[in-house]
Amino acid sequence: MNKKVTRIISLMAVFGCVTIGFTSCSKHDENSPGVEFMPDMYRSPSLEANLFDVVKNEDGSYDTIISNRKPVAGTIARGYMPYAYANTAEGYEAAGANLRNPFPKNEANLKQGEVLYGKFCVHCHGAGGEGDGLVGGKLPGAPPSYKTVLKTLPEGKIFHSITYGKGLMGSHASQMTQEERWKVALYVQKLQGNDGAAAATVASDSTKTDSTAVAAAVKVEEPKK
Amino acid sequence: MDTMCNKPRKQILAIISFLFLSFIFSANNVSAADGAKIFKQNCAVCHSLGTNKLTGPGLAGIATRAPGDEWLKKWIKNNDALRKSGDAYAIKVYNDNNQVPMSAFEFLSDEELTALVEYIKAPPVEKKEEKKDNGGGATAPTEQGMNPLALLIGIIAFLIIIIAVLRGVRFSLKNLQNEKQGLPAEEQVGPWTELKTWMAANKTKTGLVILFILGGLASSGWYALKGIGVYEGYHPTQPIAFNHKLHAGDNAIDCQYCHSTVEKSKTASIPSVNVCMNCHKGISEGPTTGKTEIAKIYEAAGWDPDKGAYTKPEKPIKWVKVHNLPDFVFFSHQQHVKVGKQDCANCHGDLKTMTTAQQVKPLTMAWCIDCHNKTEVPTMKDNPYYESLHKKLAEKYKGEPITVAKMGGIECAKCHY
Repeated sequence: MNKKVTRIISLMAVFGCVTIGFTSCSKHDENSPGVEFMPDMYRSPSLEANLFDVVKNEDGSYDTIISNRKPVAGTIARGYMPYAYANTAEGYEAAGANLRNPFPKNEANLKQGEVLYGKFCVHCHGAGGEGDGLVGGKLPGAPPSYKTVLKTLPEGKIFHSITYGKGLMGSHASQMTQEERWKVALYVQKLQGNDGAAAATVASDSTKTDSTAVAAAVKVEEPKK
Repeated sequence: MDTMCNKPRKQILAIISFLFLSFIFSANNVSAADGAKIFKQNCAVCHSLGTNKLTGPGLAGIATRAPGDEWLKKWIKNNDALRKSGDAYAIKVYNDNNQVPMSAFEFLSDEELTALVEYIKAPPVEKKEEKKDNGGGATAPTEQGMNPLALLIGIIAFLIIIIAVLRGVRFSLKNLQNEKQGLPAEEQVGPWTELKTWMAANKTKTGLVILFILGGLASSGWYALKGIGVYEGYHPTQPIAFNHKLHAGDNAIDCQYCHSTVEKSKTASIPSVNVCMNCHKGISEGPTTGKTEIAKIYEAAGWDPDKGAYTKPEKPIKWVKVHNLPDFVFFSHQQHVKVGKQDCANCHGDLKTMTTAQQVKPLTMAWCIDCHNKTEVPTMKDNPYYESLHKKLAEKYKGEPITVAKMGGIECAKCHY
């Protein structure tokens, strides 16, 4: 009887030791990535994307590395095209009156526009463009519907609104290139139920922009290829 | 019987009178309800009913501020015409709001305008449940679970005490027995000496136990070594408690709305704060952390929610990078997502269910190669180069599936150069 008890107890003790051996090596701190062998290979002095790090210099001082920074003033991205209309009420009207979509309304462009709409617009404007997206409902006011209030919005104004934002909507120029914005505009027109020509005539009727206002709004001439 | 018959009659009467009354009340409420609807559809995008400014000024106190109902109606209908007519207050409002013109609402009928004006003058007071603000926001009471290590140490200490007590009991029992049988009392030996005598007597058992301990240590050491440099399970606390489940899961926002360069660049971008502000200009309170976390976005963006303008200095958000590949390996998101059509979840797990972003895959070389060996490459119809390459490979590996590895996806220099 005594022997049995001691045997059981000693076995349990051994198990305990082994389990401690296992657990003491596991990661407890969620903010620590774990053990690193030769951290120099992981955290190099050269900047990697999307990084914020504090590094120790040889003299014991610390440096903060932030790799995501604003570009130097005057930087021009590759493929950048200046946009001719200013972010003002006059610019908005002028864009509506003068801007035309460089992309033809064909199936391929519309399909790309639909994919982009699904990524960048659908959560507020809704799949049918009626302002009934999941996020749209949480905003102080849902976006107006393409089928009613914005039915006659011309393509230039659609493009201008995506570029600079309008009302509660922010600028989406950092997320989409000009080409992508035009393709989204194509798809929005499809949701409006308008073809391009009808929208253009409505635009010229409804916008009462005199030529001086347009000239004031157009700061930079659109570069010609 | 009488009561039996009377009851339903009374009920019907009650229902009819209730319907009638509710009809009267609802008839009285028509204008207010319409006003709310019209406001939500047309005005709320730019105006709040409170004092805070969105794109346009907040409308609290509009009844005392504006010259009158008729003026408000004219302004809403076509503020441009009102300004051009030389109305002093209209021009003042225009100038006070940085000369940003309000849209015209010619399509609203007089009735609708009346309803709308009534509504904005006296909007129904929303009952707000007082939420307890913990100040820190994230300091929700967490259940203090027992630390497993402390628990183990406690159990072992308890076992040691039991062993000591039992040894004492056994010793005294034995001496009691000895006394009964008239044998001389034994001297109690120390536990260590006793263990040594036991080990000398039971060599096989001792050997087995030592082997077991060594095996346990070796395997735990092996797994510890394998975990070096592997960040699996890493989920650091971020400077802003961004909730992927809420954004990508519940609100179904596409991953690429924020990580918009994933198809265009080596890296999937961490969104700059202007992307956050695209929605959070309007949404200043969240369902889990209330205003505390969103206020951090405003601070980073320099946004003043009361004035509705970017007036303060900007501050960078110090996001902690979770998925980290060492410098000696090349990886391109563009290639995997745009060309390879890989879903984000294949490497990053289902972020739509994660409150804190966590690395769920090991991101080791074995893991990469495993996937390259398994993943088949479909024929690319619109790409003549890959089409011809695919044809050649199909001839070379007759009948076998064409995987990434067969296209050169496990050559060393593909990723290490």
